[in-house]
Amino acid sequence: MKYSYPEKTAYRRRALLLALLLAFVAIGSLLWIALHATDSETHKQNMLIADIYQDGSLLQSIALSNVEEAYRFTVTGDNGSVNEIEVRQGSIGILSASCPDKLCVHQGFISNSLLPITCLPNRLVIQIRMETSDIELPDMITY
Amino acid sequence: MKLKKLTVLSMFTTLALIIFTVESAIPPLVPIPGIKLGLANIVTLVILHNYSAKDALLVLLMRILLSSFFFGQAMSLLYSLAGGLLCLVAMVLVHRLLQGHILYLISMVGAIFHNLGQLTVAYFITSVPGVLVYLPFLLISGILTGLFTGLCAHFIQKYLWPLTDGSRFFPKSGDDNWE
Repeated sequence: MKYSYPEKTAYRRRALLLALLLAFVAIGSLLWIALHATDSETHKQNMLIADIYQDGSLLQSIALSNVEEAYRFTVTGDNGSVNEIEVRQGSIGILSASCPDKLCVHQGFISNSLLPITCLPNRLVIQIRMETSDIELPDMITY
Repeated sequence: MKLKKLTVLSMFTTLALIIFTVESAIPPLVPIPGIKLGLANIVTLVILHNYSAKDALLVLLMRILLSSFFFGQAMSLLYSLAGGLLCLVAMVLVHRLLQGHILYLISMVGAIFHNLGQLTVAYFITSVPGVLVYLPFLLISGILTGLFTGLCAHFIQKYLWPLTDGSRFFPKSGDDNWE
C-alpha cells in the first residue's frame, strides 16, 4: 500500500541531513552575495569598466566613470541578433533586444560587478569590473 | 504501450504544456535571467511520485520538445533539456532516498539541479566565466521555487488521493491494463 505510513525513521534521518545540506547551501549563497555586495559598495570610487562580450570574445571595454554624456549603440550578432545598449556615467544597460524573453532589458542598468547583464539568446554578456589603479584610461577601447 | 497509459500520459503532457505556456506569459518576477517558478515541474513530480521515473521522463521530454516546436528556438531547447533532465535525475534519486516522502524536499533538490544544468549550458554558450557569479542567486532561487512547486505537488496529491485508491485513473503497478 502506497499510502499506509508504517513506522519508518530511516527516511526521516536522511531528510534531516538533506535539509541541513540545503540550509548550508542557502546560507553559503547568502553570505557570498552579502560579501560581494558590500565589496562592490566600498569600491565605488574606483574606475568602473564595462566589458561587453559576444560569443565569448570581448567586443568593447568602456570606462563608465569617464562617460560624460550618455550615448547609445547597437551590437549585432552573427545570427542577426540586435541589442541596443545605453552607456551612462557609472552605469550601463540594454534598452531593447531582438531576443524573445527580453530578460536583459528587464535587468535594467547595472553599476556594480554583482550581476552581469546576460542576453543568452544573443550570447551577449555585459560585465562590470573595478579597476583599482589610478591611471587615466581612455574612454573606450574597441577590439 | 496500453491505450490507457497513452491517454493518461498525454493528458499530463497537455497539462504540463499549458502550465508552461501560461508561466512564460507571466513577466519575470526577479530581473535575473534563469530565475522562474518552474511550475511545469509540478506535473513531472506528480508523475514520478504516482507512476514511475520512466513515465516522468516521457512526459518531460514530450513537454520540452512540443514547447520548443510551438514557441521556442533551438537555443531554449538546449537549456530546457539540460535543466529538465538533470532535475529529473536528481528528483528520482532523492525520491528513492526519501522513499517517496516529503515531496517539497525532492523538488527543492530538483530545482537546484535544474538551475545548475542551465547555468552550465549558459557558461558553454557564452563562454564568459563571469556568468558563473549567478550561481549563488540561482541556488537560492532553486531552493525557494522548489519549495513552492513541491508544496503545490504535495497539496495536489491530497486531491489526487481518491483517484489513486484502486481507481482506473491511477492504475497500480502490475495492473495488466497499464504496462
